[in-house]
Amino acid sequence: MSAAEIEDSLSDDEYRGLELIRETGGIHQSDFWKELDVSSRKGSRIAEALVDSGLIKREDTVYNGHNTYYLEPAARDLDFRLLMAGDMLSPFIGEEEVDPRSDSFSQWLMNLAYEDH
Amino acid sequence: MAFEDLLNDPVIQKYLHELVGPEGMPVAAAPPDGEVTDEELAEQLDLELNTVRRALFILYENDLASYRRLRDEDSGWLTYLWTFHYDNIPENLEAEMHRLLDALEEREEYERTHEFYLCEVCSIRFEFGEAMDFGFECPECASPLESMDNDRLVGAMEERIDDLRDELNVDIHA
Repeated sequence: MSAAEIEDSLSDDEYRGLELIRETGGIHQSDFWKELDVSSRKGSRIAEALVDSGLIKREDTVYNGHNTYYLEPAARDLDFRLLMAGDMLSPFIGEEEVDPRSDSFSQWLMNLAYEDH
Repeated sequence: MAFEDLLNDPVIQKYLHELVGPEGMPVAAAPPDGEVTDEELAEQLDLELNTVRRALFILYENDLASYRRLRDEDSGWLTYLWTFHYDNIPENLEAEMHRLLDALEEREEYERTHEFYLCEVCSIRFEFGEAMDFGFECPECASPLESMDNDRLVGAMEERIDDLRDELNVDIHA
């Protein structure tokens, strides 16, 4: 299933939860259900459904002295176009070392400054 | 074919192309469901076995494919059964976004804190110190070196740095 199809299959509450995680870029589960104005149990079920769908990541954390989860968008949700300058992909892909002064990176930067706009 | 939604993304297509090159692209662009042998892929795609193996090995090095070996009990030959792991592509690209951000930050600092001179004939750029050593004359063609303004470059870099930090939730003070 594509990401868009998965999103279409979400319930209204799950979709609101996903939007909240995207907008904040990451949120503790203990704040998540409060922001959504649902019970903690319901918030936990929403988070679980989003994890199962692959749209978000969930990690154990300690927050305000309590064990909780940190919820954030999954990598597949990122905008990979930020690796592009014009039609050039980041020159560091497939390279072991990153050289910020390499000619290939200079070329990428010229594309960024003069071809994107 | 598996992972169609990922393969529809033009950036991901470009990424795979960058890794395996044009020759390996037929292998990278059509990952089968489940396991497949290198011989089967070569036959299906009408490619040299070596071309298929090279592409598979590059995917393996990038955590995008794995194999298990089976020995044929009669002939003693080894068969390699390959599985594609394109579900790792988003994590790989996320790591690339972090690497790009680090490089942009370092380069932006360098661009902002140095002065540059340009030979407009050869399109070669020199740092101030270099230009002075050459008496502000191009060592290739002897044209005068002109002071070069890199504000637009720095501006474009700052914009992309902001976008990447925002997308990756990188704290500036972290």
